[in-house]
Amino acid sequence: MIKVIKISIIIFICTLTHLTNAGSYQAGKEKSQVCAACHGVDGISQIKMYPILAGQHKNYLIHALSEYRSGIRDNVVMKGFAAGLSDQDIEDLSQYFSMQQGLKIPPLK
Amino acid sequence: MKSTLKFSTILALLSISCLTLAEDYSAGKTKSETCLGCHAIPGYNNVYPTYKVPKLAGQHADYIISALKAYQTKERKHQTMHANAMGLSEEDMKDIAAYFESLK
Repeated sequence: MIKVIKISIIIFICTLTHLTNAGSYQAGKEKSQVCAACHGVDGISQIKMYPILAGQHKNYLIHALSEYRSGIRDNVVMKGFAAGLSDQDIEDLSQYFSMQQGLKIPPLK
Repeated sequence: MKSTLKFSTILALLSISCLTLAEDYSAGKTKSETCLGCHAIPGYNNVYPTYKVPKLAGQHADYIISALKAYQTKERKHQTMHANAMGLSEEDMKDIAAYFESLK
C-alpha cells in the first residue's frame, strides 16, 4: 500500500515537473521584454532585417535559440542575448512567441 | 496642362511599379515551388535534430534574403538549405522573399 502511494507521489511530481518544463506563456511574456526591442512587443518586428517571431513553430524557436546559445548559429547580436538563457527560459520564450498571431504556413498552390 | 502632365506622369510611374511588383510576385511564386515541398507541409519535421520546418508566410523579405545568403555562404548551417540556396541569384532571392512576404 505504501509502495503504491510512493509511486503515485513520484508520478505526480514528474507530471508537475514536465508541465513546468513545457514552457509558460506568462513567464515567456515577462522574459520577452528584451526581445521586444527588435522583434516587436507583438512578435512582429518593425525592423525588416529582423525576423517576425509571432506564430513561429515552438520547437523551431527552441532550436534557433539553442543554436545561438551554443554558437552553432553565429550571430553577434543574438549570441549575447542567448548566452544567458536557461533551458527553461528558452522553453518559456518559445511558448510565448509561438502563441502570438503572425506567421503562417504557405499554401501549397 | 501642367497638372494634367504631372498627373499622367504619376499614373505612368504607378503603373510601372504595379507591374514590377506583380512580376516579383509571379516570379517568386514559380521560384518558390521547391521551398513548398518542406515549408508548406503542415506538421512537417526537420530531423536530426527534430523540429518543425519554419513557417515562412508573412515573414519579412529582408530577413528571408539575409537567411538565404547566410545559407549560400554556409555561414548558417543546414545541408538541405545549402543545396537549395547554392544556385540562387540575388534576383531569385528577392523574388522568393517577396512572394513569401506577400502571403500575410
